[in-house]
Amino acid sequence: MIQVKDLKKQYKETVVLDVPLLEIPKSECFGLVGNNGAGKTTLFRIMLDLVRASQGKVEIDGKDVSKSEEWKRVTGAYLDEHMLLSYLTADEYFQTLRKIYGLSEADLQLHLFKFTEFFNDEIVGKKKYIRDLSKGNLKKVGIAAALMGNPEVVFLDEPFENLDPSSQIRLKKLILQEKQNSQVTFLISSHDLNHVTEICDRIVLLEKGKIINDLKDKSEMLTELDAYFTG
Amino acid sequence: MLFELIRLEFLKSFRSTAFAKSVMVAIFLGFLVIMLLGYLFMAGIFLNKILEAISEGKNTIEVLNAGLIFFFLVEFMYRYFLQKLPVIELESLLHLPISKRKIMHMLLGRSFFSPLSIIALMLFTPFAFMEIANLHGNSGAVYWLGTVVLLSWTLHWFMLWFKQRFEDSLIGVMIVFIILLLGGGSTYMGWFNLGEIVAPFFTFAMGSFIPMGVMLVFCMVGYYLAFHYYLNNAYLEDLAQEEEVRFVNQSVGFFSRFGMAGELANLEWKLIIRHKKSRSFLLLSAFFLLYGMIFYDNPQYNDTGAGGFSFMFIFVGVFITGIFMIQYGQLFLSWNSGYFDFFLNRKDGVKNLVRGKYLLLLSISLVCFLLSIPYVYFGWKFLFIHLATFLFNAGVLIHLIIYLALWKPKPMDLNKGAMFNYEGVGAAQFLMIIPMMVAPYIIYAPFALIFNSYVGLLALGAIGVLGILFFNKLTTININRVMKNRYEISSSFRQEL
Repeated sequence: MIQVKDLKKQYKETVVLDVPLLEIPKSECFGLVGNNGAGKTTLFRIMLDLVRASQGKVEIDGKDVSKSEEWKRVTGAYLDEHMLLSYLTADEYFQTLRKIYGLSEADLQLHLFKFTEFFNDEIVGKKKYIRDLSKGNLKKVGIAAALMGNPEVVFLDEPFENLDPSSQIRLKKLILQEKQNSQVTFLISSHDLNHVTEICDRIVLLEKGKIINDLKDKSEMLTELDAYFTG
Repeated sequence: MLFELIRLEFLKSFRSTAFAKSVMVAIFLGFLVIMLLGYLFMAGIFLNKILEAISEGKNTIEVLNAGLIFFFLVEFMYRYFLQKLPVIELESLLHLPISKRKIMHMLLGRSFFSPLSIIALMLFTPFAFMEIANLHGNSGAVYWLGTVVLLSWTLHWFMLWFKQRFEDSLIGVMIVFIILLLGGGSTYMGWFNLGEIVAPFFTFAMGSFIPMGVMLVFCMVGYYLAFHYYLNNAYLEDLAQEEEVRFVNQSVGFFSRFGMAGELANLEWKLIIRHKKSRSFLLLSAFFLLYGMIFYDNPQYNDTGAGGFSFMFIFVGVFITGIFMIQYGQLFLSWNSGYFDFFLNRKDGVKNLVRGKYLLLLSISLVCFLLSIPYVYFGWKFLFIHLATFLFNAGVLIHLIIYLALWKPKPMDLNKGAMFNYEGVGAAQFLMIIPMMVAPYIIYAPFALIFNSYVGLLALGAIGVLGILFFNKLTTININRVMKNRYEISSSFRQEL
C-alpha cells in the first residue's frame, strides 16, 4: 500500500529524517512512536506531500505522491488544526467536504452517525465556528473529516492528545471498527504507549530521524517500548 | 469545485472578526477606485488634445508610441508597490482531493480581477478608436490596443512571479532601481532615448497583428511562469519558513532609559527585524527618503513665486519623516496579535506596550528626519519643512494614526512565511493614508493662504510642539482605549489564528 524508499529530509546540514526503506501493507494499523523531534510529523508530512523530500520518494498504491494527486482521493489525514477551515461551523465543514468528495447527503449522515457517541453532542448542529471549538473538539472534527469518503489510508498525528478518557476509548473502538469493516490502513503517531500498542499491529520507533526498532510482536511491544523510554 | 472555493473565500471574509472594518475600507476604496478610473477614462478621451498641447505640431500618434514605454515603466513601478499578491489558506486545502493546479488557477485568476488590470484599457481605448482607427482602420486600432493591453497584462503575471520570487531580497530592490533609472535616467541624462528605440514596435502594431500575437505569447508565458512558481512552492515548509536567528542579544541601548516601555520598544524592534513583513515596511521608509528627489528639484513645484513653496511639499515632508509611523502604525496592535495575552497578563503590560510602540515610532521618525537633513542642498526651506512636519507627526499625527488603528484591529500571523501569505504593503495601505494626509493641511492651509507658506509651517510646528507638550495626556487617551476594549481585542486575536 505505502512504500517509502531512500527518504531523506535535510535542513541545510542537519538530517532530520533518514528512512532507507519502509513498507506498510494494506489494512495494517501502523504505529509511529518516538521522542519529541524524532521526525514523526515530518515523516507524515512528507508522505502526504505537504513537505518536500530532500531525497527519495513515497509511493501510495505504487504512485509517487509528489508526482500525481490521485492518491489524495483515497487518503484521509488529520495532523493539526490548520487542516480545518476555521471560519466554518463543523456542519458546514462536513458539507464542504461532502461536495469535495462527491458524496450524497445520505452518505454523509451515515458517516456522521458512526461518530454520534464520539462527538458527545458537542459538534453536530452547534452554531459555533471551528475556530471557537476547544482543542478536544477540534480533534474530533478533524478525525471525523479524515475518515470521510471511504479512504483506504488514514494518517492521524497524536489522535489521543487532548481527548478526555472516554473519548479516547471511543476513538480506539472506532479505529478498530473501520479497520475491520473497510480494511482501512491506519498510520498513527502517538506518545500514549498503552493506546498505541493496543490498537496497532506494528510499531516503528523513530530516533533522530532514523528507524531504530520495528516491532511486530504484539505481546512484546509494550515491554520493549517501556524499556526504551525509561532507559 | 471552483465555485466552492470562491464561496469559501467569501465566507471567510464575511466571518472575519474585523469584517466591519474591512467593509468600510472596501467601500472607501471602491469610491476612490471608481473616481480614479473615471479620471483616467476622461484622460483617455482627451489624450489626443493633451498630446497636442504638449508637443506642438508633431504627430500625436508618433508622440504616443515613443512615450508608451515610459507608461509601462511607470506601470511596473506602481504594480510593484500596489499590486497585492494572492493569499490563501493553503494548509487547510492541500490534503484534500482538490488538485493543486485548480487551486492555483483560481488564485491567479482571482488576482486578475483588479482595477489595475483595466487601467491601460481605460486610458488607451478612446485614443485607439478615435485617432488610430482614422488612419489605420479599425483592425489597426484593435491590433495596437491589443498589443498595449496585453503588455500591461503580461506585467500583471510577471509581477506576481517577481514580487514573490525576489521578495525581501536585495536583487529585487536592485532591479526596481535599475528600471527606475532606465525610465528617468536614459532620456533625462541623455544617454539614449528609450522611447525612440521602442517606438517602431508600437508603430508596427498599428499595421500588423504580429506584435499583438507576440504580446499574447508573452502574456501566456508570464501566466505560466507565475503558475509554475506558485505550484512548485505549494508546500508547508514554504508557508512557514524557519529563519536563522538574527541580531542575537543585540538591543538598542538608547531604549533602556525608558524602563519597561523601553524594554518593550526593544522587543518590538526585534519583532520588526525578524519578520519579513515588518522588514518590508522598514525598507519602504528607506525608499521614501528618496521621495524628495522627485519633487524638490522639480521646477514644476518650485516656481510659485512670492518666496513661498508648493503645497505639495508639506505632503512630501510628512511622508519622508513619517512613512514608517503611518504604515506600521496602521496595524498598531495586529503586530502583537499572536501573543497579546502575554501583555494582558503582566502588570501594566498593555500600558507599556503602547508606550513602547510610541517610543519606537518616534525614534524611527526622528532618524528619518535626521537622515533627510542633506536635502538642505536644495535649499534651507526643506529643512524647515521637514522640521515642521516632523514635529507635527510626533505631536499630532501619531496619536491620530493610532486612534484610527485601534478600531477593530485585525489579527495577523507573523510567523507564516510570505508564500501565499503576503499581507504586506498593498493598495489599501497606501490609500488609507489619504485621510491622514488631510490633517496637516487643515492646520497649514489657512495660515499659508492668509499670510504665507512660512507662517503656515510655523503653525504646523507650533501645533506639533503643543502636541508634544501634552504627549502624556494624548497617549493616555489611546492607552485607555486599548484598556477599555481589551476583552474584545484579545478574543478577536485568539479567534482567527
